[in-house]
Amino acid sequence: MTDELSPVDIIAESAGPKAAAAVQPATNGEGEVFSPRLAGSQDIIITENVDKWFGDFQALDDVSLRIKEHEIVVILGPSGSGKSTYIRCLNRLEEHDAGRIVIDGIELNEDVRAMAAIRSEVGMVFQQFNLFPHISVLSNITLGPQKVRHMPKLEAEALAMQLLERVGIPEQADKFPAQLSGGQQQRVAIARALAMQPKIMLFDEPTSALDPEMIKEVLDVMQELAESGMTMIVVTHEMGFAREVADRLVFFDEGALVEQGTPEHFFTNPREERTKLFLSQIL
Amino acid sequence: MSELPPIPRPEQRPLPPAGGPRKIVLPPHRQRAGRPFRVKAREWISRNLFPSLGGTILTLISAGFLGIMVVGILWFVFFDANWNVITANRWLLFAGSFPREEAWRLWTSIAVVMFLIGLAYGTWSSLGRRDTLFIVLTGAFVIFLMAHGGATIWSSIWFLVAIGLLYLGYYLTVWMPRETSPRRVWHQRIVGGLLALSLPLVLVILMVAGGANTRQFDGFVLNLILAPVGIVGGLVVAIPLALGRASNMRTIKWTCTAYIEVVRGAPLLGWLFVALFILDDVIGGDLIIRTMVVLAVFTGAYMAEYIRGGLQALPRGQYEAAQAVGLNQLQAMQLIVLPQALRISIPPIVGQAIAIWKDTTLVTIILTLRELKGNADSAIAQSEFIPDRIEAYVFVAVVFWVVAFMMSRISQRVERAQGIGER
Ligand SMILES: Nc1ncnc2c1ncn2[C@@H]1O[C@H](COP(=O)(O)OP(=O)(O)OP(=O)(O)O)[C@@H](O)[C@H]1O
Ligand SMILES: [Mg+2]
Repeated sequence: MTDELSPVDIIAESAGPKAAAAVQPATNGEGEVFSPRLAGSQDIIITENVDKWFGDFQALDDVSLRIKEHEIVVILGPSGSGKSTYIRCLNRLEEHDAGRIVIDGIELNEDVRAMAAIRSEVGMVFQQFNLFPHISVLSNITLGPQKVRHMPKLEAEALAMQLLERVGIPEQADKFPAQLSGGQQQRVAIARALAMQPKIMLFDEPTSALDPEMIKEVLDVMQELAESGMTMIVVTHEMGFAREVADRLVFFDEGALVEQGTPEHFFTNPREERTKLFLSQIL
Repeated sequence: MSELPPIPRPEQRPLPPAGGPRKIVLPPHRQRAGRPFRVKAREWISRNLFPSLGGTILTLISAGFLGIMVVGILWFVFFDANWNVITANRWLLFAGSFPREEAWRLWTSIAVVMFLIGLAYGTWSSLGRRDTLFIVLTGAFVIFLMAHGGATIWSSIWFLVAIGLLYLGYYLTVWMPRETSPRRVWHQRIVGGLLALSLPLVLVILMVAGGANTRQFDGFVLNLILAPVGIVGGLVVAIPLALGRASNMRTIKWTCTAYIEVVRGAPLLGWLFVALFILDDVIGGDLIIRTMVVLAVFTGAYMAEYIRGGLQALPRGQYEAAQAVGLNQLQAMQLIVLPQALRISIPPIVGQAIAIWKDTTLVTIILTLRELKGNADSAIAQSEFIPDRIEAYVFVAVVFWVVAFMMSRISQRVERAQGIGER
C-alpha cells in the first residue's frame, strides 16, 4: 500500500476502463439507482421503514429498500450493523417489528401460509453452511423438494444430481457433509437452497468461514448463478465479487441503510463519511 | 433412530448384492479411525507402562493391587465359595414363584425375543466378530453353569435354540439392500412393529390359556419384563416432555417442567410406594401394571432432561436451515432436530437405562410389602395409625422432594452461569 493513494483510489484505478467508461446509472424516480440491464424488471422485494428490536436494542432502524428481479445486491457494513438481521427478516427467520416487507407480492406477517410460501421462494445460504450432518449430501438436497414440494423421490434425486453437477461436485453425492471440505460443503448448501427452485437467493457471508483457497470455488458458483438471472442479496466482504458481479451496493451502519449505489459510485466517490471510513478499513 | 443411509446416484443404482459382505458407508461419527500402524508390543509396553521412573512405580503399584484382587477373587470363586446355593436355587433366582410346569412359556418368550433381536440387528446393524465372540462366550458360560448345576438337558437345548434363532433372524434380514427404497422402508417398519409388539406378545405367551398370573412374575424374569417397559415407556414419555419443556408456549413448558421436577424430586422407591399404596386406593388395578406405569413415568422424567440436553446442544443453525429449506415445525423436529438430539443424548439415556435395569430390583421390596400390606390390612386394620399412612408417606416424600428440587435448582443455576441453558 503506497502513501500517495488511498485504498479507494487503488480500487478506482484497478477498475480501469470500466470506471472510466462510467455507465450512466438509471434511476427509478425514487432516487434509487440501479444498473441499466434491469431497466424492464419489476420490484420483487420491497421493504419499507423496517424496524427490528432485540429487547431494547434496535438492530434495524427504518430500513427502506427495493430490489428488482434479477438484481444482484451486495450488502456491506461493519460487524453488528444489522446486515444479517436484515436478510434474515426477508425470509422471516427474524420477525420485523415495524414497517412492511413484501416479497414477490406476498406480504410478510403473522400468516403462516405466507411464511411457507416465502420459504419456498427464497433460498438462504449461511455462513456456517448448516448442512444436516446426519444425512447424506444427496438427502440434504432432496429433503426440501420431497417433503415440501412432494416431489417423487426419483425426480428429486435427479434434480439433486443436476444441481450437484452445476456446483461441480456430483461425485460427492453419497458422502456425509462432514466428509467434505468447507468449500464443497458450502456448494452443497447452495445446491440445497436451489433445489427448492427459489426466485431469490440470500447469502449471509457465504465465504467468511472458508479457507482462502476455497473462497474462489464458492464465488465462482455464485457468479454463475448471478449470470443465470437469479435475484441475489449477498452479505459479503469480498470486494472483488462486489465490484464484478453486483448491480448495487448497499451500506449499513448501526442498523440503518446509510448509502447505496453502483459499485463505481462506491469505489470512486462514496458520499458518506461512514462509508469512506468503512471502505478504507476493509480495502 | 431415523438414520437415512446414503443413496446411490440414480443412474448408478447398484443391484442388490446376492449376498456376502457389502460395503456400507457409515456416517463419519460412526466410522472407527483405522489404526495407522501397528505398534510392536514391546514398544507399546515401554511407552505406556514404563515411561519414566514415576510411571514405572505407579505401574508396579497398580499391578500389585490388581494381582492381589485377582488372586483373591479366584480363590473365592474356586475354593471358598459354596455355589450350591446358586445351583440348588436356580429356578428361585431365575423365576421365583413362576410355576415350574410352565417353564416352556419362559423359554418360548426368550426364544421369540432373541429372534426379534436378530431381525433388528440384521436390519439396522451388523454383528461384528466381537459380538459373535461375546454371544458364544456368554452362551458357553450359561451352559457350563447349567451343566454344573445339573440342569435338565431341555433347558440347555432351549438355550441353544434361542441363540440359533438370534442368528436365524440376523441372516434373514442382513442380506437385504441397505439403500432407502420403499421396500426397505416397509421392511424397517415391519421389524420395528414386531419389536414394539414383542412385550405384549411375551405377556400373552406367559399368561394366556392357563399360564402364570402377574403375581407369579418373580425373580430375574420380573426384572426382564419390567426393565424394557421402563426403558421403552420412559423414552415414549420423554420425547414429548423434552419438546414440551423446550417449547415457547408457557403453559406447555410449565406443565412439562413441573412434571419433570416433581418426578425427579422423589426417589424411585418413593414412587413405587405410591404405586403400592396410594394408587391402589385411588385407581386399583394390577400392581405389576401400576409398577410398570410408575417405572415409565419415572424414567421418562430423567430421559426427558437428557433429550433436552441434546436439543440444546444442537446448533441453532440446524433449526434455521430446516426452516429456510421450507420444512414446517413438525417436519423440522422429526427429520432434523430429534434424530440429532437423540443421538447426542444416547450416552446418558443408556446410563439411565442401565440404572433403571438395576433399580427394578427395588420392585421386590414392594412385592414383599404387598404381602405385609395384605396381612396388615386384615389383621391390624383397626390400628389408629393405619388411616394416616398416606400422610406419613406424603411427609417423607415432600422432604425428599425439597432436597432433590434444591439440587436441581442449583444445577440449573450452574448451567445458566455457564451459558449452556440459553442460546
Ligand atoms: N437474537 C439476537 N438477540 C439479541 N441481539 C441480537 C440478536 N441477533 C443480533 N443481535 C444484535 O443485533 C445487531 C446486529 O446483528 P447482525 O447479526 O445483524 O449484524 P451483522 O451486520 O450481520 O454483523 P456481522 O458482520 O458480525 O455478521 C448486533 O448488535 C447483534 O448483537
Ligand atoms: Mg452477520
